[in-house]
Amino acid sequence: MPSYLSRPLTVLGLLFLSHACYSAYEHSTSIPHQPSNLASTPISSSPTSTSLPLDISLETVMSVIMICVGLVVGAEELKPITWRVWAGKVERESGGGGPFQGLEDRLGFVDIRAKRKEFADWVRDQDGENQR
Amino acid sequence: MPTERELAISPIVQESVQHNTRVISNIRALTASLFGVASGILGLESYSGFAFYLLGTFFVSILIWALLANGKQGQYFQGPLSELWAGDVLGGSMSFVLTWTLFYGLVRA
Repeated sequence: MPSYLSRPLTVLGLLFLSHACYSAYEHSTSIPHQPSNLASTPISSSPTSTSLPLDISLETVMSVIMICVGLVVGAEELKPITWRVWAGKVERESGGGGPFQGLEDRLGFVDIRAKRKEFADWVRDQDGENQR
Repeated sequence: MPTERELAISPIVQESVQHNTRVISNIRALTASLFGVASGILGLESYSGFAFYLLGTFFVSILIWALLANGKQGQYFQGPLSELWAGDVLGGSMSFVLTWTLFYGLVRA
């Protein structure tokens, strides 16, 4: 899943969650309190714990799932822990860099002919520009 | 746990291990309080609330496994069971209880 979906998904989920929260609050205040009924029924079957409408519960659960997916998608990428996998990935992504760059760049490994040719081309370019 | 010999053959990058642990604990901290909000709204009590939390963390673990680790958990964690599936579950339960009680009290005042 692309990571640009993370922010909209999370924001939308938060919106739904706050809506569900306010709905639940409104629902709890809309039910008139019945002290006589509360006193007569045992606490375990108190009406508040089970009386939440299905749509509010569903909205809550769905919004939580949405936010979870959004958070996980938007999280930073994990990095491979074994050195060879990690170094190979770094080298591939940076185009020949990587943690062993220092070893690759030792003086003994320099391709002197390529460097000479590069320099000669550069000098030729400079001469060409000067004559123009 | 890998032996010394295995570690010498294929060394571990400590930086990556720390980075992965930080990513996991970030997600856990955020989602734990989120589950607290949800169970407070749903009005869950006692065991069902904790069951909801455990279920939620398991769901988040599956998401991490599928979306972040791409199913290759051994490549990103030394001990996948303790770092991915059970990492920071107990630490997150504190913030879970905090927001759970807060929202339970707010909604059912």
